[in-house]
Amino acid sequence: MGMTIRTATAPTIIITMTTDPHLILHQIFSPAFPVGAFAYSHGLEAAVQGGIIGDATDLQGWLEDILNHGSGWSDAVLFAHAARGDDIGPLNELALAMVPSADRRLETEKQGAAFATCARDLWGVDLPNAAYPVAVGRLVHLLGLPQRDALRLYLQAFAANITSAGVRLIPLGQTDGQRITLALAPLHQTIADRAITADLDDIGGFVPMVDIASQRHAALYSRIFRT
Amino acid sequence: MISAADTAKAQRARGALRLSARRRGPLSEIGELYQAGSMRLLFPQRRGPALSAVMLNTAGGVTGGDQFALDLEAEAGSHLTISTQAAERIYRAQPGPSGQVTNRLVLRDNTRVDWLPQETILFDQASLSRRLEIDMTASSRLLACEALVFGRRAMGETVDQLHLTDRIDLRIDGRLAFADRLRLTSNAEAQLARIGVAGGAVAMATILFAASGAAGHVPALRDMLPNTGGVSALSGDLIVLRVLGADSYALRQSVLPVLAHLNQAALPRTWMI
Repeated sequence: MGMTIRTATAPTIIITMTTDPHLILHQIFSPAFPVGAFAYSHGLEAAVQGGIIGDATDLQGWLEDILNHGSGWSDAVLFAHAARGDDIGPLNELALAMVPSADRRLETEKQGAAFATCARDLWGVDLPNAAYPVAVGRLVHLLGLPQRDALRLYLQAFAANITSAGVRLIPLGQTDGQRITLALAPLHQTIADRAITADLDDIGGFVPMVDIASQRHAALYSRIFRT
Repeated sequence: MISAADTAKAQRARGALRLSARRRGPLSEIGELYQAGSMRLLFPQRRGPALSAVMLNTAGGVTGGDQFALDLEAEAGSHLTISTQAAERIYRAQPGPSGQVTNRLVLRDNTRVDWLPQETILFDQASLSRRLEIDMTASSRLLACEALVFGRRAMGETVDQLHLTDRIDLRIDGRLAFADRLRLTSNAEAQLARIGVAGGAVAMATILFAASGAAGHVPALRDMLPNTGGVSALSGDLIVLRVLGADSYALRQSVLPVLAHLNQAALPRTWMI
């Protein structure tokens, strides 16, 4: 399958490649892609230390709430808008403004910057640093990658990263973690499908426990994750 | 003959308020004032240099189809404190449009606004679409508190069906500095019980404090909060605090010391009763 890269620099350069776009998607959502995702728990570390989360059932419920009513859904909508080519200035401003804590701002800014830096080096694209879902969505647009598949994989990578943090923190067995990833797969599909056609006004949710955990993380006495 | 639809239309409440605060000498006074429909402002006896205003919803609450709009402006150098006479009640709505509440605050240079309404209580089958839009300059100081109570637990009330969208946009010098997009629909009781939502708590407050050096208050506030609350500095000049309470009483116990600390002055009397 062919694909087209458009860079925003003038004059417009169109590069046609013959790489399967799914291979690009798997590369950018692989834990090996250097965004440093392993350093962030999205508030989970505080929730485990606070005794809110103690087993695999708790962790799966926590992730379902984040995906349905928290940054999973909000970031999916922002990603979808960036992926279809919307101006990323306002998307980035909204993405950063919706973050409920300094830790979470760091999480999305640092990962977004690392992602954009690597993408610029690999594909020569004009991709500015931005909040992580906005930066990734923009690359999907610039490389003409399949948006729905990209968004499904994005959500799975996001949840799997927090699951890995949970496997370490709770702790859980590796198979328990994989069981959660498998159980959440239908949710990644439905959220991605809804987000692809959603308006920015459809953004919204309610996960105060998750917000508060991310706010409390900075005050933990000992921490192994940055958020 | 009056149709049922006309009756329903007639029963919908409308309210509009516009108020500006103006600095005169050491005091802040009423500049412009406009009141229409079932919203009124009361001006309690002055206790300091600030202009204090208390909102009163003469319709007794908000239900589906109601429309309320409030526009407040603090003119340069003024200090305005706003509260409500009672908790706002969002009653069961008939099928149809949500109640619409739009509150806008504008803070010109070197102003201070304390936005301290009492709790908003949501009843079963309430339907509310609310917005709080704040535009401030970086030279100003804002303290804003919004508290939501999902059913009065002490009265045995639960909120099984709810349609709530509650949006906050805070702009500082035109830049979107904080955005909250609260959306809670369908079975609120089941949602609130979830581990990542409220773990069974039925009351929540969000407090914003934007002022030069606001981040310096984080350690003191952290010490005041129960383990169901958190506070974070989004920048050196903006902090956001969120706290859950098992009921509205527990929430007040958490919120009052925080507000007293950040207000650095007596809270509106309506909070003290």
